[in-house]
Amino acid sequence: MSPKSRRAVVVAGCRTPFVKAFTDFVKMDTIALGVAAVSGLLSRTGLPHRSVESIVWGGVILPGASPNVGREIALDLRLDPGCEAMTVTRACASGLQAVTLAAAAIERGEADVVIAGGSDSTSNAELKLPQKVVHALAPIALGKPTPSDYVGALAQMLPLGDVLPKRPRIAERTTGEVMGEAAERMAKRNEISREAQDAFAARSHHRAAAAIASGRFDDEIVPVQTPGGRWVHADGIVRADTSVEKLAKLRPVFATDGTVTAGNSSPLTDGAAAVLLMSEERATSLGLRPRAAVSSWAYTGVDPADQLLMGPATAIPLALDRAGLRLSDVDVIDLHEAFAAQVLSVQKMLASAAFARARLGREQPVGEIDADRLNVHGGSLALGHPFGATGARMITTMANELARTGKRRALLGICAAGGLGAAAVLERVD
Amino acid sequence: MNDLLLALGRNQRARALVRRMGIPLPLPVPLDRDPGPWKARPLADARVVVGAAPAAAALEAIAACVASAGGDAYLASPEAAAAFQAPCEAFSRPARPLDSLAEGERVRALVFDATGIDDVSGLRALYDFAHPLIGRIARSGRLVVVGRAADAAAPEAAAAQAAIEGFVRSAAKELGRAGVTANLLQVAPDATGRVGPVLRFLLSAGSACITAQPIAVTARARAVEEPPLVRPLEKKTALVTGAARGIGEATARALAREGARVLCLDRPTDLGQTSQLAREIAGSALAVDLAADDAPGTIADALRATGGVDVVVHNAGVTRDKTLARMTAEQWDQVLGVNLRALVRVTAAIEPLLRDHARVVCLSSVSGIAGNVGQSAYAASKAGVIGFVRAAADRLAPRGITINAVAPGLIETRMTAAMPLAVREAARRLSALGQGGRPEDVAQAIVFLASPGASGVTGRTLRVCGGALVGA
Repeated sequence: MSPKSRRAVVVAGCRTPFVKAFTDFVKMDTIALGVAAVSGLLSRTGLPHRSVESIVWGGVILPGASPNVGREIALDLRLDPGCEAMTVTRACASGLQAVTLAAAAIERGEADVVIAGGSDSTSNAELKLPQKVVHALAPIALGKPTPSDYVGALAQMLPLGDVLPKRPRIAERTTGEVMGEAAERMAKRNEISREAQDAFAARSHHRAAAAIASGRFDDEIVPVQTPGGRWVHADGIVRADTSVEKLAKLRPVFATDGTVTAGNSSPLTDGAAAVLLMSEERATSLGLRPRAAVSSWAYTGVDPADQLLMGPATAIPLALDRAGLRLSDVDVIDLHEAFAAQVLSVQKMLASAAFARARLGREQPVGEIDADRLNVHGGSLALGHPFGATGARMITTMANELARTGKRRALLGICAAGGLGAAAVLERVD
Repeated sequence: MNDLLLALGRNQRARALVRRMGIPLPLPVPLDRDPGPWKARPLADARVVVGAAPAAAALEAIAACVASAGGDAYLASPEAAAAFQAPCEAFSRPARPLDSLAEGERVRALVFDATGIDDVSGLRALYDFAHPLIGRIARSGRLVVVGRAADAAAPEAAAAQAAIEGFVRSAAKELGRAGVTANLLQVAPDATGRVGPVLRFLLSAGSACITAQPIAVTARARAVEEPPLVRPLEKKTALVTGAARGIGEATARALAREGARVLCLDRPTDLGQTSQLAREIAGSALAVDLAADDAPGTIADALRATGGVDVVVHNAGVTRDKTLARMTAEQWDQVLGVNLRALVRVTAAIEPLLRDHARVVCLSSVSGIAGNVGQSAYAASKAGVIGFVRAAADRLAPRGITINAVAPGLIETRMTAAMPLAVREAARRLSALGQGGRPEDVAQAIVFLASPGASGVTGRTLRVCGGALVGA
């Protein structure tokens, strides 16, 4: 990338606790979760509401009646009406997409202060009526129906099995494959053993639990009061006491002879995360110390019918190139853990010279990712994965890691439905 | 166009009934076809067993082809493992030993690297590979042997490589009942790098009707670096003569599907139909009577206006079937005039307009190879085409231009539907696959020869005949 005249920096980030779907946050929709995260961010930074110029929000399960979640958050929070907003979706990379869109707007000089983030409430996924019912009812809903219209509509809806609302499935539209099946296939093709997956999952839980116990997440998580009046202070999915032995007892979910279990997959989660981005000049003039600067990012696609979740293996080298870095230059790495099998598969391909030559057209492998640098405070397996929030959660944790430890560079990688890959590089601001 | 036996063969119960009653009725197997566009991974998750004789030279090309096409390789020869390691790792499809394949599991394809066979005793490796596996190929599967060109070698090596041709032709006849094809690549030592795209085509569903063919792969024509695997004809301009119907129409559509801008040419009387086709495929139409003396000039002018041409398909042809004794000189002249004279003259006129790496494909016919009663003029013209491409290839090769012929056998078109039933039935059944081809089968062969990856094939005639028993 050409040297940028304006740099986008991460000033702060915070998130709601992440909890299992259909538990504490069941009565809060994605807008309410977003409101909780953004209001927490505003109160913690003490930022005057007036100064927020824009909200860029990411989400996957968008509410049909008000899909521009970002704008609803701004209105619910009574931010200045001039604070414009948009909502983007890029499957599991939606939160990162929101952050990089905000960074791009800042770099272009379109804004100086932007809140970016994302949220999802799997608990509030809307059940969809089959299209057959919608079409059958259209004459009744939209016109002046005659009795024969009612009879016709009824007749069209038989047999009844076809018209009952369908159970929502997170399946690829083009291939019909469910995420877990894709992870199962990737485990087989990349020869990732059950033991390796369970060990990875256990480490994710242990590291997340250690981070929580040490207070490392305290300034990243804002307590949330539910409509019932109860306060939720902490993540609900992390299991400090899990072990490889315990995980080994779980049955595979997606294939009888498979290796992917509930224990080594990320769970359905409710939550939200928000990041405050500014131009470096504005942050300085406001006397705020940026936690990190956004150096580069990249989005790629691979064929979803091949290896659905391999995208980071092509996005990461591209983002590194754009930052002028090699993998070895990076001090800390956060890979979204959709499935242990998927992270391990991506790691394997990044280390493969054959992959680099045949798929990336480069002589050297992208590089090895050793466990010491990877997901040092756990990942989505342990913390959970509210789809739209994950990218902003990772940006927050990595920016704080750079600010707290003196490490220089952080790399993020996310896989997403549709065969998408996403990556970003953060650097320390001295 | 109704093939009763094929329709019967489609019905599982009818198949079982015929077998149970012991009726000696060879029900042909409906073929898996792919009308295009080309897929990135035509072998997605298909099992491919690869074997090799000692000193095999094409294993790396085979490995890269199978892995990038999405196939799962099973190795019958442990020595092949080294060549398969890197490509299989790159596509997360580790090659596995053959014995890890469960008993009774069928495979899509067998590929054998016979390039190292240079004596008669070496042929035993081919038997040892094929004998236990031949029955495990799934319906519409493939057997491809990669061998050497037999001519330039020492006599015993030539004998061994020529023997492989006999083997493959026989295997094709044995496998045809299951809709399986068997083909042989005869690769020149300096053309191993060009095997990939040819092998990919032969393993794909697009080659369903090509069987019992030896295909020479040489380095005569300048190669294209990294030929595209999908949309091979993007940004290419193509000319198809006789495009109004039948094979020409199917070809124009198939070329357009792969991204080409197609100039559809046919007789002025068919302009309506040609224009309709051109509109549907976003090409353009050109009305030319190829028998006319000014036809080459008219075509050259049209191509000059488009700034040159990348693909030329000489498909226009006429039949005036009469036994020699009954054929009038006029009929003779008509057939030779359109089928051969026009082709030669048009090619000469447009040669300067062929872009580098252009592809010329001329329609021949199995009649041109084998001859046929009542087709002395037609067969003469179609045999002439074979001679023409053989000789023209060298002149065009330095510019990377290839010229080939495609020789269809019985293709189910309006023209062949008008044939007497007995003749048509005989033509259908006297082939390895036991059925006629479709215009789309010929179109797919033409698209392959028109693609950048086909640089290794020039001056040759590719039969699309389902393994017709007649001819060499």
